[in-house]
Amino acid sequence: MAVTNLNKTSVLIVGAGPAGLAAAITLKNKLPHTEICVIDKAAEPGNHNLSGAVLEADCLNTLLAAVDKDWKQSEQAKEILAYKVTKDNLLFLAGKNFPFNISISIKLAKALKLNFAQMSHMGDYIVSISKLTKWLSQAAKNLGVEVIHGFAAEDIIYDEKKNAALGVKLVDQGLDKLGQKQPNYVAGEIINADVIVLAEGCDGLVTEKFIEEAGLVRRANQLYSVGVKEIIKVSDEQFRKFTHGRAVHALGYPLWTPVLGPAMFGGGIMYPAGENHIAVGMIVGLDWKYCDFNPQDALTNFKNHRFVKKFIEGGTIVEAGAKMIPEGGYFALPRNPQTSAIGKANVLLLGDAAGFVNMLKIKGIHNAIKSGIAAGAAIAECTNNPAAIASKYTELLNMSGVIEEMKQAAKFRQTVAKLGPLFGIPLSILGGKLPKFKIKKDYEVLTSKKYKYKPSKNYDKDTFTAMAATEHREEQPSHLTITNTNICAQKCTPRFNSPCITFCPAGVYETVNEQVKPANPSNCLHCKTCQRKCPFDNIRWTAPEGGGGPRYKNM
Amino acid sequence: MSDYIVLVKQVPDVTQITDNAFDPQTGTLIRTRLASVINELDTLALAAANRMNQSGPKPGKIIVLTMGPPMAQDVLRYSLARCADTAVLLTDKALGGADTCATANPLAHAIRKIVKDILGGSNDYYIVTGMQSVDGDTAQVPAQIAEEFNIPCVTYVTDVEYKHSGFEFTRIISGGNQVVTTRSVPAVITIAKYEYPLFATFADTRKANRFKLTQWDADDIKAVNIGINGSRTRVIRVFPPGKTTRKCRQITEPTELAEAIAESFSESQKQTAKTEDKTDTYILPEKRVNLFNRNFEGTKKESEDYKILADIFEKLAITKLSEITEEIKENILSLAGEHFHKNALEDMLEGFKAAAPCYQGEVWVVAELNAGKIHPATFELIGKARSLADSLETKVGVTIAGDNIQKFCQELIVAGADVVYTIEHPVLGEFDPAAYKKAISDTIRQYWPQIVLFAATPTGRVLAPMIAYRLGCGLTADCTELDIKDSSRKGQVGILMQTRPALGGNVMATICTKDSKSQMATARPGVMKRLPPEPARKGKIIKQTPQLSEADLSLNIIRTETGKGRVNFDAEIVVSGGKGMQSRDNYEKLLNKLTAAIAERFKKTCERGASRAAVEQGFIDRIHQVGQTGTSIAPKVYIALGISGAIQHMIGVANSETIVAVNSDPNAPIFKHCDYYIIGTVEKIVPELSEALMKKQ
Repeated sequence: MAVTNLNKTSVLIVGAGPAGLAAAITLKNKLPHTEICVIDKAAEPGNHNLSGAVLEADCLNTLLAAVDKDWKQSEQAKEILAYKVTKDNLLFLAGKNFPFNISISIKLAKALKLNFAQMSHMGDYIVSISKLTKWLSQAAKNLGVEVIHGFAAEDIIYDEKKNAALGVKLVDQGLDKLGQKQPNYVAGEIINADVIVLAEGCDGLVTEKFIEEAGLVRRANQLYSVGVKEIIKVSDEQFRKFTHGRAVHALGYPLWTPVLGPAMFGGGIMYPAGENHIAVGMIVGLDWKYCDFNPQDALTNFKNHRFVKKFIEGGTIVEAGAKMIPEGGYFALPRNPQTSAIGKANVLLLGDAAGFVNMLKIKGIHNAIKSGIAAGAAIAECTNNPAAIASKYTELLNMSGVIEEMKQAAKFRQTVAKLGPLFGIPLSILGGKLPKFKIKKDYEVLTSKKYKYKPSKNYDKDTFTAMAATEHREEQPSHLTITNTNICAQKCTPRFNSPCITFCPAGVYETVNEQVKPANPSNCLHCKTCQRKCPFDNIRWTAPEGGGGPRYKNM
Repeated sequence: MSDYIVLVKQVPDVTQITDNAFDPQTGTLIRTRLASVINELDTLALAAANRMNQSGPKPGKIIVLTMGPPMAQDVLRYSLARCADTAVLLTDKALGGADTCATANPLAHAIRKIVKDILGGSNDYYIVTGMQSVDGDTAQVPAQIAEEFNIPCVTYVTDVEYKHSGFEFTRIISGGNQVVTTRSVPAVITIAKYEYPLFATFADTRKANRFKLTQWDADDIKAVNIGINGSRTRVIRVFPPGKTTRKCRQITEPTELAEAIAESFSESQKQTAKTEDKTDTYILPEKRVNLFNRNFEGTKKESEDYKILADIFEKLAITKLSEITEEIKENILSLAGEHFHKNALEDMLEGFKAAAPCYQGEVWVVAELNAGKIHPATFELIGKARSLADSLETKVGVTIAGDNIQKFCQELIVAGADVVYTIEHPVLGEFDPAAYKKAISDTIRQYWPQIVLFAATPTGRVLAPMIAYRLGCGLTADCTELDIKDSSRKGQVGILMQTRPALGGNVMATICTKDSKSQMATARPGVMKRLPPEPARKGKIIKQTPQLSEADLSLNIIRTETGKGRVNFDAEIVVSGGKGMQSRDNYEKLLNKLTAAIAERFKKTCERGASRAAVEQGFIDRIHQVGQTGTSIAPKVYIALGISGAIQHMIGVANSETIVAVNSDPNAPIFKHCDYYIIGTVEKIVPELSEALMKKQ
């Protein structure tokens, strides 16, 4: 028997989320003999996937009908797509008591054929992306894809001369806190591959390194928001009142109130999350100005709003988590300046790693899956010419409608960032006619102003973290580093009172012996908010040993 | 060159219990709704086996074996991705539903087949496995496999080193550590702790996923005792553990807190007294006033059904079973309504015929010696044995093995024993499982007591499974409740109902023995209550003459270390410091002060603990860590200083009788999970509390 080099594969996909798995499924289905490995840092499928999530499910049909035309009949498909949106509430909360239903404006926009109408969710499905991912993972495995969990990638080996990436390096395992090798040390392997697909999700470690090394360019800065979410077990009656198919999106309080402020981009969400479970969440643009703001405070206020409270009062939190969303949209897509490809040569960028979130729809999963389908098809078409894959992929993306959709929503988020929600949201109706604003990076806009609706009680981050079931091996080097600790003491603490301590949803940062430290790296939820919101760009997130991090089940 | 057979098990992940894992009706945790993982201690066993293989003279093979459903292959692939050379899956429906004895037996037969098929008959191998599995927590299977082969068993190993052409094992014993070598190979090694579990590599994971596993079924291994039929115990019922309700009372003055702590000691006495009164003392059916009184059934439902039946008898004026005709039966059924149906009635009527107890003989306790003294758990067991024996109208026997032990007899009688069986021999000078099990089994076989109780200590937990297996008796580990009950419908009267926690304490199970001459159980130390000593008690001493020689020893004891640098989490009070202690100096200073004051005031054992965060900050060594990732403890009083009360910490102290918290953060979650709390900085409160405790003296 020939000895196979198991550190080499034809196609290596980094990240087993919807995008990466869609690429694997499409490719394996087209070319069953292709050797495909998908690696993921989470311990189990779906553990690092968190979203609202409202899904435009057509893409699933495109993906799965090619494999099995009766895919919808399977028990799992029925379970995952059990909640169809039948009641689409877009609310404006004027204060802590009164909701105004503004769904009518969406209907109006629809009638007027405005871009704004994309905000409608009727007919979509409310899904758990964790469960969806777990299911897609099984589908990929059934086709013979090697989906391998517990391995984190930290770098890509890019050969400029050859204009190709050669492989990916994994994180070392078995270092102690000080970085010394323990007896069980295993050096991070290098996995060589002909094609590398980066589907790491938002603010991907390897993706960002590759963008820099390969000279990909974003026409606008990437913007982010962070979502914090809880799943609450409620009573039969509360769930019945909420109804099975209701999707609630709430603008206004507690993120934005006219004239007097605060003025932040984002809103609250509320969806069913299985029988007698309701998901509540708060998504906040990272360009908030208030140095004492924590998105979980906004979540607390939202939960205490009269409209929300009645559905969840007395319930128990059974799961919680946090994750960032890339919001820069069309102009923030990283492209090869020569070819406009979203990727380069044999490297492709997919899903959230590329930034395919449509901010008008506040949705990205459908685009992630479509980008995976395009990637799978592109690789299948260019088996003999890996260098052409990135261009082929971009061509297929254009044809798939993903790029067109991104274009329509292109200026929305930037307009709001520039003008604030009061003028920004209504003005964004103009869509493509708006000028392209130049927007600062999220971390540059923090001020010493305070958040007006700070709740009297601190949010219970410990329980939040426990409910995210996050875990890391304790005796490893901290995967979070503060680049220059002098900045914390001399600049940040006096001016902003160390906002990382406040905004980190998992309470990773603390002052120990008068020094701000990532004191509890093992609580980290891998949301990476700190890396993008530290006002001095002074925090770096690297991947910890594989298998660590949250263990989401139904998020 | 030695080879290594590593036993691994797939278990439910009890660290991640989701709310939908509980049955909404009964509140019982449903095992199948939990994710499956490899038993954590088995991952340490793999690492230890790998270390032995690397450090020995020449590396041999590592073969990994598991028994379970087909999905258990996951744990084999886990092992193959780390160090195993080959893997065997033992899977067959016929093997399901097994207790420890019916698990050990097929595993031992599979090992025989591995030795023959894979190791070419070599006898130079070690069986390495985790000390226990997280679902059963019994630690019985490894010892029973050792018994099946009659080979040495080194339990609770924490380190292994190759020295002087052999392996030296460091292991935990009651009250300390011991370094031993085995007198022969093969041997069973169980791992309690090992620092460095192995990581998988990407390439080996792919290899493991492609590996063709060897798969055997029950016929392949020709085991004797398998499945439900081969088991010597059966589960009567599974129920959720009782909920502890915390007082959550805020206290403002340290002096008041000092008194609250003092009170909680007297209170805990009261509470236990109450729970003991709750159940009526068992009376044998033949001694009951009403012939049809069957209110001591194993399950509440059966007791209730019999009560209803007795009431119907009274109504119909039935006094003898012979009066009951088919017509009367119909009548009874119509009166019983929905409570029970025809088959149940027949069983119940048949059950009345069982009036004499199933088992004969005394109730025995196997005494344990520790550092020249009788282990306190022995006295607790005698207390329990006393009440069991009184119910059954028989005697309490205590068997004690060792060298120079006559001096202990009177102490055992004073504690409640009627008969003391002494097994004295120079070979028994130090505890060696092989010699002890032989001596004690021979004594049991001579008298056949109906119940034999052992302490669930490191000693008892290796000795009991070996003896039970050797004598073909059922054994229940780590019991927290032992009661005499009837199972009339199964024709059993006066049997021992053994209740124990399972699945990491998330469910309780009541178990009884079947197909055994004697009912055996180990009981957790600190759960049963010793009786007040009766210095005037008289008892009989029977000297056994054991047939032993040097050849019966299985281990060479290199050295025994007791006491030093050890953490005694069995202490009655545990004081823990968290991150709120700010620095190592603060931790040292404040905890020393408070523990000294507590020791002074209450004259009780006191130990220092720490939260994970405090350990991370380097305030104290990791062995002091309390909580989910540290040690789970159950002291009478737990005092948490500067600990926020993360769920992971609280799980580890949930069994404490009283929890006291000091924290400066008024929103600290711990305040919702404690009995008394005081809001303030530890620097201020702890000295004041210490002073208040001292002053009151």
